[in-house]
Amino acid sequence: MIRSRTVIYYAPKRGNAEAEWEDGGAASPGAGGGRPRFAVADGATQGFGSARWAQHLVAGFVGAGADAPPGLSPGALFGWLETMQARWYDDSRLAGASAIERLKLEEVGSFATFLGCELTPEPRPRWTAVALGDTVLFHVRDDRLVTQFPALSAADFGYNPDGVSTKPEALREQVGRALTGEGALADGDLLYVATDAFAHWMVEQNLRDPGVLWPTLAGIAHPDTFRRLVADRRGCGDMGNDDVTLLRAQVAVSASVPEPAYLVVCL
Amino acid sequence: MRMDSYRQSVSRADPGCVIILLDRSDSMKLRWGNTGSTLADGAALAVNNILLDMCIKATAEVNAPVRHYFDVGVFSYGACVLQPGEGVESAFGGPLAGRGLVPLPELAEHPMAVRTEPSIDLMAVSAKMPVWVDPVHGYRTPMCQAIAVAGGHVYDWAAAHPNSFPPIVINITDGMVTDNPYDGASLPEWGKRLTSIETNDGPTLFFNVFLSPSEQDEIMFPSTPAGLPQPGPDLFGLSSDLPQPMIENARVDGYDVQPGARGLAFNVSRSTLLKVLQIGTRVPDRPM
Repeated sequence: MIRSRTVIYYAPKRGNAEAEWEDGGAASPGAGGGRPRFAVADGATQGFGSARWAQHLVAGFVGAGADAPPGLSPGALFGWLETMQARWYDDSRLAGASAIERLKLEEVGSFATFLGCELTPEPRPRWTAVALGDTVLFHVRDDRLVTQFPALSAADFGYNPDGVSTKPEALREQVGRALTGEGALADGDLLYVATDAFAHWMVEQNLRDPGVLWPTLAGIAHPDTFRRLVADRRGCGDMGNDDVTLLRAQVAVSASVPEPAYLVVCL
Repeated sequence: MRMDSYRQSVSRADPGCVIILLDRSDSMKLRWGNTGSTLADGAALAVNNILLDMCIKATAEVNAPVRHYFDVGVFSYGACVLQPGEGVESAFGGPLAGRGLVPLPELAEHPMAVRTEPSIDLMAVSAKMPVWVDPVHGYRTPMCQAIAVAGGHVYDWAAAHPNSFPPIVINITDGMVTDNPYDGASLPEWGKRLTSIETNDGPTLFFNVFLSPSEQDEIMFPSTPAGLPQPGPDLFGLSSDLPQPMIENARVDGYDVQPGARGLAFNVSRSTLLKVLQIGTRVPDRPM
């Protein structure tokens, strides 16, 4: 038995409307054989329908039945992404596209970085993740970083070309560049997944002041708190003006750990 | 160049500004190599292509307006259409005629025509595309006046957008300037006035593209004026250092860019012109 309590915070670029957030985040308690899954994707601003593509990917990854990949092997991932691509094009809204929109759809399509994670209880509790691009997972225990996956340095952000596009001809090479990682889990561990601007800041802060960073992130209990943090960091130039997403999953691996005792409703 | 310049990304909160100065002097009537069309035809085609490129890049979703990532102006010098004679004017035709800087969504909505145009890379295909600028040629080359007009727009725009990526001005010409000095200032002084206008992210960028009717070796982004035929050294002196985002754009396109490279492309062919415009206008849309 393995459980996770997951919360997703997000903020669009400064100056953009709420609906223009082009990342995606999703979690499920037990898709894919009863194993908790979560995923975060970052749609490329230069793409067409990037928000739809990012959200389509994360919903598909954590979705039930045929929508979800049966595992994280390259073969499973390739088959699942082929289906995702076909379904993305099969969208009735595209019938109303203008000439410029159709040109962009056909010539550019869309592109997103992606990180999907699955928690497995056997033979011992662990997380397994697949990553394409600079969306990053941070495994934290007792306010200390255990693992960062992929292990990008601050200088690596913004230059990583990996991700998943909507173009079928590019898929095999893109899946071939996917990275996989895993780590052993203990009760109370926290897993964070963040898109590039926020992840970049986390990498820098972990070097500068980890004793403040991890308790701060663990203590965020309301979207407004997250938004204030992002606005402050953007304001002082520590964080780029990009869409940001932070998924936090608290893990319970033993039955003795109680379920969350409260529900937060954000109004 | 300041190390912290040219790092701002383009967004609707902080849009960018692109101005193209288009030579419409008499010599633009010359055939462009073996293309079968004139320099004016090829230059207008490339300008229309880059404007379409910018509209496409700012198209993000079906049934949603093109995003306001840039304010765009195209100013021609030489033959004028609105008030026939020699001078400088907005090169836009149709509903945007006479307009200075136009927000990208408005540009996308108001081409002067949608018509079949030849392929920019000389392949035997044509495609229907929006057109904002027509080929025109005549009279002399009042480049100083064109820089002065661009400077006025750049000044107002930079004051209104202090946190944006600095304005980008790209001059497409085939000839020798004929109004130097203009209004008491020389061509280099007009260039300096233009590039002294700054946002918080750095000085205005001024790039120059020289078209040659005969087929000659292209010289891309030189780091020295040595060896450049006239008017290469003058254009080199006017051109800004290529900043990091454009250096990366050029390297992605296969150009070996040396330290100290300037935003100058000399003797460019018709198919290279669009590439140069893309290198010069591609600004990071994600923070660097």
